[in-house]
Amino acid sequence: MGTIQQDSMPVIRHVRDFDPATGNLLERSVFNHRPLFVLCMALITLLLGYMAVTRLEMRPSFEKMIPQSQPYIQNYLENRASLRGLGNSVRVVVENTEGDIFDPEYLEVLKQVNDELFLTPGVDRAWMKSLWSPAVRWTEVTEEGFQGGPVMPDTYSGTPADIELLRQNINRAGIVGSLVASDFKSSMLIVPLLDKDSATGQGIDYHQFSQVLEEKLRDQYEFTGASVRQGDAEGSGKIKIRVIGFAKLIGDLIDGLIQVMMFFAIAVLSAFCIILLYTRCLRSTLLVVGCSLMAVVWQLGIVSWLGYAIDPYSILVPFLIFAIGVSHASQKMNGIMQDIAQGTHKLVAARYTFRRLFIAGVTALLSDAVGFAVLMLIDIPVIQELAITASIGVAVLIFTTLLMMPVALSYVGVSAKAAERALIIDAHATQHRGLGKLWDLLDRFTTAKWATGAVLVALALGIGGFMVSLQLKIGDLDSGAPELREDSRYNRDNAYITGHYALSSDMFAVMIKTGPEGCLNYQTLVLADRLAWELQQHPQVQTTVSLVNAVRQITAGSFEGNPKLNSIQRNQDMLNYAAQQASVNAPELFNTDCSLMPVIAYLADHKAETLDAVVAIADKFAQDNSSEDRQFLLAAGSAGIEAATNIVVREANRTMLLYVYTAVIIFCLIAFRSWRAAVVAVLPLVLTSILCEALMVYMGIGVKVATLPVIALGVGIGIDYALYLLSVQLHFQRQGLPLSAAYKNAVAFTGRVVGLVGITLAAGVITWAWSPIKFQADMGILLTFMFVWNMLGALILIPALSHFLLRNPRRA
Amino acid sequence: MCSVRQYVRLALCATLVLLQAVAQAASYVDVLDLPAKPSALAVRSPLLDVTRAGERLVAVGQRGHILYSDDAGQSWQQAAVPVSADLNAVHFPTAEQGWAVGNDGVILHSSDAGQSWSKQLDGRAIGELVLKHYSALASAEPGNEHWPLFAAEGQRLIEEGADKPFLDVWFADAQRGYAVGVFNLILATRDGGQSWTPLQDRTDNPQGLHLNAIAATGAALYLAGEQGLLRKWDAGQERFVAVDSPYQGSYFGLIGSPGELLAYGLRGHVFHSRDAGQSWQQLDSGLQVSITAAARDARGDYRLFTQAGHMLRAGAGADAALQLLPQAQQSPVAGATQAANGALVLVGSRGVRVLPVE
Repeated sequence: MGTIQQDSMPVIRHVRDFDPATGNLLERSVFNHRPLFVLCMALITLLLGYMAVTRLEMRPSFEKMIPQSQPYIQNYLENRASLRGLGNSVRVVVENTEGDIFDPEYLEVLKQVNDELFLTPGVDRAWMKSLWSPAVRWTEVTEEGFQGGPVMPDTYSGTPADIELLRQNINRAGIVGSLVASDFKSSMLIVPLLDKDSATGQGIDYHQFSQVLEEKLRDQYEFTGASVRQGDAEGSGKIKIRVIGFAKLIGDLIDGLIQVMMFFAIAVLSAFCIILLYTRCLRSTLLVVGCSLMAVVWQLGIVSWLGYAIDPYSILVPFLIFAIGVSHASQKMNGIMQDIAQGTHKLVAARYTFRRLFIAGVTALLSDAVGFAVLMLIDIPVIQELAITASIGVAVLIFTTLLMMPVALSYVGVSAKAAERALIIDAHATQHRGLGKLWDLLDRFTTAKWATGAVLVALALGIGGFMVSLQLKIGDLDSGAPELREDSRYNRDNAYITGHYALSSDMFAVMIKTGPEGCLNYQTLVLADRLAWELQQHPQVQTTVSLVNAVRQITAGSFEGNPKLNSIQRNQDMLNYAAQQASVNAPELFNTDCSLMPVIAYLADHKAETLDAVVAIADKFAQDNSSEDRQFLLAAGSAGIEAATNIVVREANRTMLLYVYTAVIIFCLIAFRSWRAAVVAVLPLVLTSILCEALMVYMGIGVKVATLPVIALGVGIGIDYALYLLSVQLHFQRQGLPLSAAYKNAVAFTGRVVGLVGITLAAGVITWAWSPIKFQADMGILLTFMFVWNMLGALILIPALSHFLLRNPRRA
Repeated sequence: MCSVRQYVRLALCATLVLLQAVAQAASYVDVLDLPAKPSALAVRSPLLDVTRAGERLVAVGQRGHILYSDDAGQSWQQAAVPVSADLNAVHFPTAEQGWAVGNDGVILHSSDAGQSWSKQLDGRAIGELVLKHYSALASAEPGNEHWPLFAAEGQRLIEEGADKPFLDVWFADAQRGYAVGVFNLILATRDGGQSWTPLQDRTDNPQGLHLNAIAATGAALYLAGEQGLLRKWDAGQERFVAVDSPYQGSYFGLIGSPGELLAYGLRGHVFHSRDAGQSWQQLDSGLQVSITAAARDARGDYRLFTQAGHMLRAGAGADAALQLLPQAQQSPVAGATQAANGALVLVGSRGVRVLPVE
């Protein structure tokens, strides 16, 4: 808050005229020992910088993106080890763009790809499947019983006869749609990954694995000849390599993170330009940017010391901290500049500014911290870590920006020209020239006509926005991996694979948990079959897969393939035989001791309505059929996890708004000691929140994990503006000035700062909009919108609302 | 705030425990006692047989689905069925009276052209039935060593539970009919299914081979089954007697007309006989896939269908050639029949498929 104490701060031209014993304890201990303080700061910066450089690692963890204590997620986490089919595997599709798979050249490439993957560290070789795997077999019922062999003829040598045999075997094996595309233009390699590398005992490095896929497969086979892999582009050659799967997704996310880190440079550069434009003083601009960067170094150092890693959410914290740092540091500079311009010595000016703005700065940072702190209430580890790391950053800002910045300025000062310029701008403002015209325009909003107009427009916007926001959806709305953009290579590959193979990548799994051998129980299988059937009734469920499918098929097989025996038989021997066969052909359908089997529904999309409906069906079935020795547990699979996340997000979105607004209102009541002022401060934020939701509807962004922090930060940081403006306005009003004059003074005093804060904050986050990671882009756009709109709301609606509510603040 | 959250969590836990307690009360309902669930998907889901009830089509399939159509297969209604066991075969000797059989030894009856069904028998009663029948015969004729063996078979059925599927059903009229199934399971009725009599001793099948199909051509009634099993009903002896089989693999079905009989089965095998099975001629299908269904088309030709969905034509009065017919799409066929308008209606793992009259 811009607490106005200028009256007690006379202009002092020489340090010798200044009594160093004045000021509070903190000021004296810092400013009277400046060299020691600077040395300490430098040492800490070195230490934390070293920490950041040596310890910081990128570790996007999906586990942390899911709500850990949601019951469905707990069910999943408890049983994850048993869910092989839903486990970690990548699907590599090798496509022949100039023909079909019955092409010796294609098959040779496929063989090389197969061998390359087979030898890649981390691949669970035993379960790898492709046309070249001996384990991929065909079987046929003959008069003598079963007959079968590997799909790829043992003696394959590329002759037309071999190819014909392969064609026959593919049909006999029934792998069209699973390993072979339905148009025969591509085939798939299913590559399961080990949790830990058998050689090193370490977890798989997904980034490295993803690089191997790019360099050893794509560069080798897709980008042949002249073409070179660049970004997301596809090769133009005969062969295309398409890869989907968790490991690839993580790899792409890390690539995205690296790209986003580069955006930081752009954010720094744009902040630099903005401040330089504002101050026209190079040295103080460098100082502002330097101090803010120092805050980022500290934050990263502390965070990595505490063992946190960078993930797609926490990578955004440095941007925010930098932006907040820049906006606070510029205010310090603004203050010092005005004092120096009036002739005060730079050390004294620095101490004055400290006195004037330290409490105000801490208050503003506290209100930011409230925004972050509220995020702790969301039961999703990435968001909680975001809250912790951002709170650390805010705490760091107290040292770097509120203390270090004025100390550094006391050494460096500002250029005389810049100080002069600041004076001229202020003079222009009072003479209604330059920026003064803008302030005059804003000033008019305190008059009845303009205030009424502004409030009516705001009301119309609010109502319109609210109507639109009613269509706000929960969850991710686009197809493919929601973390990446719809047109990313990964999602294009995903769309290709969904289009040419039978199964979608949106899997919703219900886990059936029994005692050992329980999944072979006739009743369990019948219930699994009933559950699958219930799920299939929903039109968005494409198909279901469970052990029952295998059991039915194997039973029919043991009756010479008679379709009438495609059934679940009560005979335990028959069920045991079926399971034994299934454990060879489809081991992913149940765990080793047969105590857990998933029923997997493949969904046409992962829209919230679909997930809700499927959850409702599964949940009702689970409640109706669970018993002591057989539980139906929701939920696993990508769609299952998303469904659980949606449930938490929907709840969190409401509570978050409640908490953050409660906090902000309490904050305003303390700061202004007037409920009317609190209303004036909060209503513009409410309008922004409503419009933000409308914007989400317009842009097709659903409420998801990534939008929760946006809402909290938008409100938590957005209140800053009102704090600056209103506190000054109230100060003048309480001194007896009429509203118009008080507001005019407030705007003249802090309007420039409000504008600067809004622009620097927006500049800090807008670069995210170009992030290859979809939710970061969404966050960037929404946060920028909130920062800018909050600023406009404050400048326009505060005077307008004040006209109605705060004409006589002493009455309040 | 924290304590409130904990309290809420506690309350949630308590609710969950309560729900769990309720859930534990839920008891498993057997497929023989659980009525089939009406579903719009039934027409696209696995169906195993289709037949005519007068003008109407009736199809049966997995999960107790029975569907009927009055517009030659264009639209279907789902019948009320008291069981959700998989149903394998259906036959209507009259336009009103029909029987459907399936897994778990279930026999269903309809007297309203397939709109509603009642259960006449299920696997839980068959063992008792067999044991009683042959025990009575054994005590009536102590010298015959066969009866105790058949009685023991009944005892085994009781022990193994309701796990024997019927694979086919055929009724001569509204009173007399047969249901056949795996391991030489065969029951006959003379009172429209009020009571059933085991016929295991009348099939000349000591190995207990599966009886896959029962069909009539004119006055002759045949059984076809596993490992080349072919039997013909001998009214004089009142038993099914062996017919010379040209093939040692399994037959999945029979079709014919007076004076003509086709038997089809594993790996594309089709045999044709003009003398009620005394001599056979193989028809070359050129396929290695099992032939699983057959019907007569509007011209009176035979159409044979495979497990992979191929369609073959054999001219009536068959000359030796089977002709593979092209189709727009192919999906596995488990049952076929001719609709009232001459169209062919096929059922299989993907539900109903209608081939219009050419």
